[in-house]
Amino acid sequence: MRQLRVGNCSGFYGDRFSAMREMLEGGDLDVLTGDYLAELTMLILGRDQLKDPSLGYARTFVRQLQDCLGLALERGVAVVANAGGLNPAGLAARLGEIADAQGLSPSIAYVDGDDVRSLGFPGALTANAYLGAFGIAAALRGGADIVVTGRVTDASLVVGPAVAHFGWDPTAYDELAGAVVAGHVLECGTQATGGNFSGFGSLARTAGPLGFPVAELADDGSSVVTKHAGTGGLVSVDTVTAQLMYEVQSTHYLGPDVTTHLDTVRLGDDGPDRVRITGVRGSEPPTELKVCVNELGGHRNTVEFVLTGLDLEDKAAWVRAQLDPQLTAASVTWSLGPAPVIDADTEEGASTLLRCTVQDRSPEPVGRAFSSAAVELALASYPGFTLTAPPGTGTPYGVYRAAYVDRSAVTHTVHHADGRTEVVS
Amino acid sequence: MKAPLGTFVHARSGDKGGDANLGLWVAHDGSAAYDDRVAWLLALVTPDFVHALLPETALLEVEVFALPNLGGVNVVIHGLLGQGVAASTRFDPQAKGLGEWARSRHVEIPEALW
Repeated sequence: MRQLRVGNCSGFYGDRFSAMREMLEGGDLDVLTGDYLAELTMLILGRDQLKDPSLGYARTFVRQLQDCLGLALERGVAVVANAGGLNPAGLAARLGEIADAQGLSPSIAYVDGDDVRSLGFPGALTANAYLGAFGIAAALRGGADIVVTGRVTDASLVVGPAVAHFGWDPTAYDELAGAVVAGHVLECGTQATGGNFSGFGSLARTAGPLGFPVAELADDGSSVVTKHAGTGGLVSVDTVTAQLMYEVQSTHYLGPDVTTHLDTVRLGDDGPDRVRITGVRGSEPPTELKVCVNELGGHRNTVEFVLTGLDLEDKAAWVRAQLDPQLTAASVTWSLGPAPVIDADTEEGASTLLRCTVQDRSPEPVGRAFSSAAVELALASYPGFTLTAPPGTGTPYGVYRAAYVDRSAVTHTVHHADGRTEVVS
Repeated sequence: MKAPLGTFVHARSGDKGGDANLGLWVAHDGSAAYDDRVAWLLALVTPDFVHALLPETALLEVEVFALPNLGGVNVVIHGLLGQGVAASTRFDPQAKGLGEWARSRHVEIPEALW
């Protein structure tokens, strides 16, 4: 059967905006995927939705498709993204409006059922089960041009299109595991093509920005990782290893569709900017699904004091002694940066930073009460007192934890463009 | 002789909730000593080694998973990032630089591997 070319244009919410267009214009693709959800992103979207219930999805994805929808349809490239976040239905509706405004009529499907707050996670702002690939596959088989999801595993964005294309059964564990590995290589975008890479010295510096990755999948689950011709960066055994080593924990990677045996992955050079992935074995997945739970942990704030020149330990001790008694936050953490060089010939070289971070359940003790206390010392503390930035009012923070639910408690659902819904077991 | 671990070892690190994840593997730099370097790295990296290499992990549970097929190891450092990236007060709360710190640490590298 013909191979499937799957590209990626986003590794996180905030990744290079122009990547969607670059990937559509830069070479042939069957499917373009984008990952917009990290653990922390779910919290950000949760806070968005508290303010406005119609939000809760990745808004940059809307603007990217506003620019690229016509192009994707013209090229026959399906777009699959988890940009739906906490509100895939809302995102699908918004994309429908954009299409209407442009006189286009794409088939837009969405996948949900991942939101499991109703199963009882007291105090949780968000609780989302990591769904697998079969919902995306059903949406594509139903004719969708665009599929948006909530919390599916990052690799499912690649596995789903492969299942739809090759028709793999849920028990085709080796094939699924092969696609999971390809999915993990792609999910962080340019981290597969030379970004965040220890061997950066070997990258060509003359080319443009790092190209986003592409996987050419075969019906046995093997793949070749590459990138569009003429883009910057590098695809080598080392850049692909980097991404695998970063994404996995342990030798048996547990996912909703398959347990992937990472100790069976074989990487091989397949020519310039081409790395072949073969040999991947898989086995039955666990009976429970992992859940990403975010709770609103409290509020935090940080102030950074610049300490310069002589007697740095004493300067730090004095400002601490001045500030500490005024702080009412539940948690106060001080840390002093490294000692500067002696007899430094620049002011920056003679300086270090003293950081004070405060946390509390409520906003007041980390807000003005904290920042004013620090600022009021400006003329009343150690010589050379200065701050890196005026202290702000503090920010809320989340606490992430993993939980597990039985898969029978989750209703993994595809909402097709024609209004039909389909439950995926 | 003593030299940085990163002399021929690559790394990438990041966060998984409150845990830090660190991959270390031997660079494919064309060296004839590749297989010997992999055998050395796999034997070298134990939880005790990680505790000594990165002293701020000394009191934390460390797991090491050998991936000889990828020429390296996956290291999980439990609890280094406190309650997760948004809550952590650690310098580098997502452990993005942890791998490069590890590579800069000096270790005894046998002469035969150079």
